[in-house]
Amino acid sequence: MTPPPATAVADLMRPKSIPRDSQINTDVMSVTKGVSWQWGLLLALALLGVGQAIFTLGYQTYKGLGIAGYQAPVFWGVYIINFVFWIGIGHAGTLISAILFLFRAKWRNAINRGAEAMTVFAVLTAALFPLIHIGRLWKFYFLIPYPNQRALWVNFKSPLLWDVFAINTYMLISIIFFFVGLIPDIAIARDRATGIKKFVYTVLALGWQGTGRQWKAHNRTVLHLAGLATPLVLSVHSVVSWDFAMSIVPGWHATIFAPYFVAGAIFGGFAMVLVVMIPVRRIFKLEAYITDYHFENMSRFILFTSLICGYAYGAEYFIAWYSGVEFEQTSFWLRAFGPYWLSTWIMISCNVIFPQLLWIKRLRTSVPFLFVLCVLINIGMWFERYVIIITSLSREYVPAAWGLYIPSIAELSILAGSFCWFSMFFLLFLKFLPIIAIAEMKELIIHEKAHAAHASGVEAH
Amino acid sequence: MPTLVSVFDLPDDAATAIRKLRGRGFEDIESYSPAPFEQIDEAMDPRPSKVRAFTLVGGLTGVFTGFLMQIWMSLEWPIKIAGKAYTSIPPYVIIGFELTILFGGILTLIGLLLVGRLYPRPLDAAYSPRFSAEEFGVVVKVGERDVAEVDGLLRSLSAKEVSLLDD
Repeated sequence: MTPPPATAVADLMRPKSIPRDSQINTDVMSVTKGVSWQWGLLLALALLGVGQAIFTLGYQTYKGLGIAGYQAPVFWGVYIINFVFWIGIGHAGTLISAILFLFRAKWRNAINRGAEAMTVFAVLTAALFPLIHIGRLWKFYFLIPYPNQRALWVNFKSPLLWDVFAINTYMLISIIFFFVGLIPDIAIARDRATGIKKFVYTVLALGWQGTGRQWKAHNRTVLHLAGLATPLVLSVHSVVSWDFAMSIVPGWHATIFAPYFVAGAIFGGFAMVLVVMIPVRRIFKLEAYITDYHFENMSRFILFTSLICGYAYGAEYFIAWYSGVEFEQTSFWLRAFGPYWLSTWIMISCNVIFPQLLWIKRLRTSVPFLFVLCVLINIGMWFERYVIIITSLSREYVPAAWGLYIPSIAELSILAGSFCWFSMFFLLFLKFLPIIAIAEMKELIIHEKAHAAHASGVEAH
Repeated sequence: MPTLVSVFDLPDDAATAIRKLRGRGFEDIESYSPAPFEQIDEAMDPRPSKVRAFTLVGGLTGVFTGFLMQIWMSLEWPIKIAGKAYTSIPPYVIIGFELTILFGGILTLIGLLLVGRLYPRPLDAAYSPRFSAEEFGVVVKVGERDVAEVDGLLRSLSAKEVSLLDD
């Protein structure tokens, strides 16, 4: 055979457009193409929400924390609740991307990118709250051990300091994990983009070509990051729970707090994944990739973690009674029947009672039902933190020092801003990066193709 | 040296081609794959990726940094806290652990970038966007007089296209 002239081949090898692109590339990348007015409106609303929260924060920085609803003895309020809430939301993403990866649960492939993105954005939201909470924003660096002329160091025996390390580690590792998974998909985007987009994707793809060497290193990296992230995610919410459990406040001082917080975080996080992914799937018509099977699997997780939460609520009450400590008993009695009874019953209904409906298969597989339930679960999880923090602090040992805390307008403004901040990141993510892990899905698609070819004997020619 | 670019539909075929080419003594082979397939990576290089060494070094650096930092800092200005020893190891486990993960993760990323040669650079001449679609590429550098033979070999191994890239 005479080989064709080299220049002709070079042209052949690098066509201007790809004649037959893979279906999944087209489907998933079409999400990033074009901007609808609805998207623009949502982004505008999100930016508006962020703007008003920044204004409130500025005002609070100028006036001081007095504009928050703090009343002695409650000096941990909505900001700390938001911090715990958003950190918890992030945990589902790491569970899906790391733990289910180690368990080789292939169904995670369709949702892991969206969940990982959610993790990164949730942690970026949560990380703001300790700073907002300290009030004097310019002194946040006191949290970091650094050599200073006072030769003073931070207190390494304090759970609050452990939290600084845990949260920052979690943030960096989540971003690294997210980015490493994205590299092959950014390369796909690079090969199909033009103009300025192509330039940006080219830089971000870091010359990825899917060579044997690159895939081997990539697989190994993902495996190791998953192995590192798995204990990390368990440690992060445990450390957050120790912010409370290491104190002697009745209602906080419990050994069950670490597993209870981790399960609650995964529970709330999975609900948030569904709240985000259900509309995304519908709007961008991704039903072929994110199927009802994925949603059903997630709802099973939600049901399971809901049971753990229910068990933890029960165990808390049981131990409060069984310990014979009057302060614990009073604290828990007032939790259910005191001034904050409403938040406690919202928490119990949304987190334990309503999710039991998932036992019914017809409801578990109904997408609208799941969406409504997951919104309720998120409300319930926010109230769980409200109950834990506020009811415990407001009813400590000395009745003379009891108080009542009601969130102020400023705190609600920043709470709304945090949802807008999170949505802003997610909306931008939708338009710039693939929402589904294309390369991982392609692995399954090509596997099936190879299987079919093998079955029909096509490969024998 | 002429470069032959062959295109395959199935990962197993690409892996077989790489192995056969190796068997014939061609060493300068490159593979392009749209998704991770072990058979191809194994055929290219059966040794485990060197990334694992980076994770180990990072993790060990992290655990030592974490503990030594805390011990040194608490001894540099000793303050009694809750009647505990100045350097009590149990509470230091938390930050020691977090830094193990942090350093391990960062070094793993650096390992990926170095081992996978990932930094902004021009793509190979043989690379084509079709390899980020659903096709597999096996690229081999051969001597002038081997072109026809290797071309025939690749086609017999169910390559759906073989073309020549001169550089």
